[in-house]
Amino acid sequence: MKRLSLITLMLISAMFYKVNAQETTTTEKLTEVNDKINGLTERLATAESDLSKLTKIKVSGYIQAQYQYFENPSIQPNNYFSLRRARVKFTYEMTDGVKFVLTPEFVPGNLSVKDAYVVINDRWTKAFSIWAGKFNRPNYEVEYSSSSRELAERSTVIRTLYPGERAIGAKLEYNPVNVPFHFQLALLNGADGIMIYNASGTNLNTTENKDFDNYKDIMVRATYNLQLGNFGGLDFGAHGYFGSLKSNAQKTLSSDYSTIEDVQFGDAVKRNWVGGEFQLFADILGGLSVKGEYIAGKNASIGYSPVAAVGTTAAIPGVANFRNNFAGYYLYFIKNLGKKNQFAFRYDYYDPNTDITGKDVTIAKYTSADATTLKNRVSGKSDLAISTFGFALHHYFDDNLRISLNYDIVQNEKVGSAGLLTEDYTKADGTKVLKGLDYSNVISQNLLTLRIQAKF
Amino acid sequence: MKSLNIKKFAIIAILLGMVGFAFAPATDRITVKGSDTLVILAQKWAEVYMKSNPNTAIQVTGGGSGVGIAALINGSTDIANASRKMKPSEKDKLKARYNTLGVEVACAKDGITVYLHPSNKVKELSVKQLGEIFKGNIKNWKEVGGADAAIKLYGRENSSGTYVFFQEHVVKGDYAPSCQTLPGTAAVVNAVKKDPNAIGYGGAAYAEGIEICKVKKDENSPAYIASTETIKNNQYPITRYLFMYLKNKPTGALKSYIDWILSPEGQKLVVEAGYFPIR
Repeated sequence: MKRLSLITLMLISAMFYKVNAQETTTTEKLTEVNDKINGLTERLATAESDLSKLTKIKVSGYIQAQYQYFENPSIQPNNYFSLRRARVKFTYEMTDGVKFVLTPEFVPGNLSVKDAYVVINDRWTKAFSIWAGKFNRPNYEVEYSSSSRELAERSTVIRTLYPGERAIGAKLEYNPVNVPFHFQLALLNGADGIMIYNASGTNLNTTENKDFDNYKDIMVRATYNLQLGNFGGLDFGAHGYFGSLKSNAQKTLSSDYSTIEDVQFGDAVKRNWVGGEFQLFADILGGLSVKGEYIAGKNASIGYSPVAAVGTTAAIPGVANFRNNFAGYYLYFIKNLGKKNQFAFRYDYYDPNTDITGKDVTIAKYTSADATTLKNRVSGKSDLAISTFGFALHHYFDDNLRISLNYDIVQNEKVGSAGLLTEDYTKADGTKVLKGLDYSNVISQNLLTLRIQAKF
Repeated sequence: MKSLNIKKFAIIAILLGMVGFAFAPATDRITVKGSDTLVILAQKWAEVYMKSNPNTAIQVTGGGSGVGIAALINGSTDIANASRKMKPSEKDKLKARYNTLGVEVACAKDGITVYLHPSNKVKELSVKQLGEIFKGNIKNWKEVGGADAAIKLYGRENSSGTYVFFQEHVVKGDYAPSCQTLPGTAAVVNAVKKDPNAIGYGGAAYAEGIEICKVKKDENSPAYIASTETIKNNQYPITRYLFMYLKNKPTGALKSYIDWILSPEGQKLVVEAGYFPIR
């Protein structure tokens, strides 16, 4: 019995020891796991901190590849594949109040900077922001992203007035928090994308990162968004451009070719215009919109006369500065067709010289004896109005991929007489001029574009 | 290729496309995505509605208000749930893609609730104090009448409508860098449950197992917790509408579902889920 008790005691002791040992092991294990979790938490916090810096950088972009067929016989080759746009946009939001944007474009054979600007938001009222760098000029069609646009290209008047869309300068924006009013005031170099030729046809305005002259241009745009209840909404506004280019000639020709003004090299040749815009959005049959803008004013091109030109030659745009009264507008109709498709129609009209009608223009040799007036002698096809009927159908495979079929029917204003353009001729100075297109008829300039857009 | 053929081809293709795509068939499948604050309620609505409407399939997912609105813009959801208003930049994207301004449907009210650990001595805070705490200017509980301990901040990710609303109406500035962001209100509640020095915010429906902090409009006002009465009487200072956003005016099955949500039956579920009815 004593032996049995002893064995039992020994067994109990052994079990107690084992349990104790197990408890010790479990505690150690728990401590180990706890340490590991603490270590992982610390590493996670570091990783999160690093990651939060990366989330401040946003990368987006798109590629537009296209096939185009030109009906204009003077364009050769008349059909080809090309890369219209290939852009990557980097946005870095350092804090809530400061944003940097850089958008390089990688079209084959040309690497360029489309956007490069910083935006500083006011942290108190949250209504004001200052932009500095290279950014879109304040205008509806210019600021409307190319990746969202319903027709393949912007309308003619916008492409003419704002070549390349962007300009270098500074801008103040006012977007009050609870009022749907938006105001932009920009001070720009103003010569961005404008060609200014010398006598040998070389573009003088090649310093993309500097101004061509000391004159700064002012742009202003104000818009208001009106809610129309269940119907939709109406956005409307106006914009204006007030600027100058430095004269590189000693004559400035008036828009109607009636007067030639003497100017000095370096004088300001003014360019001013204003425009009104509207965008109507209607929640009808899946959504449609009608958008339009009308712009009119006086534009200018810079001549190259190295000396005070005299006689007829002085009055040729290009040799002399030229200030043309112009007008242009566009009107869109856009209709969604289900969730995946969209139809768009646009009529756009641009008259580069409202003082000259087609019948005034004799596209002929400048020194022709049959051109009886100054107007006849120097007006040309650049004075003719252009109207374009554009049709487009888009299919959205998803948010990233869109395929578009676009067809533009382009019609030119007809000239009163084709002059000698329909046959080769020799100028008075002996220069041979080959016959050109017959602008007494509509020149076939229609264009088919099939485009695929990938966006990320 | 002759120019005439190209012209004919283009015009015919565009017209055929218009006709073909104009009559896309409607479906009774409804997708709902967005606000994590609304996800519990949205799931409840869908569950109950599908029982009485078996021909309608409703799929509900969360992700945050920003995610839902982005999905609405890219066409991958029919309804975007949001605990904040749509931003002008989001409206512009909707305009560009669908030519509409979207349709906003206020479907419930919420009182953003401030969560504290039950052991915390602090039981009430003013909106200003909350702002200073989440900005990181008040760092210790003793500064607001609590224990001498560092305040641990928990909040939502910036895609969350609650994050944006709380920032705009309470923080009125940048959140403190030390504010730990968590993916969902449930995660915020869990974090506060485990940490005696924690403070977090989120929808009223999630407030379980934690102390609800009473909130004062200013130092001299009485403190309230979010309740049907205090929200109806505009006494609780951090209230907001919860929204559903649609691309267009709803039709068919979508319209029936929205109408039902706004009906007394749908609004009854709002109360059951811990939120507050719109009327």
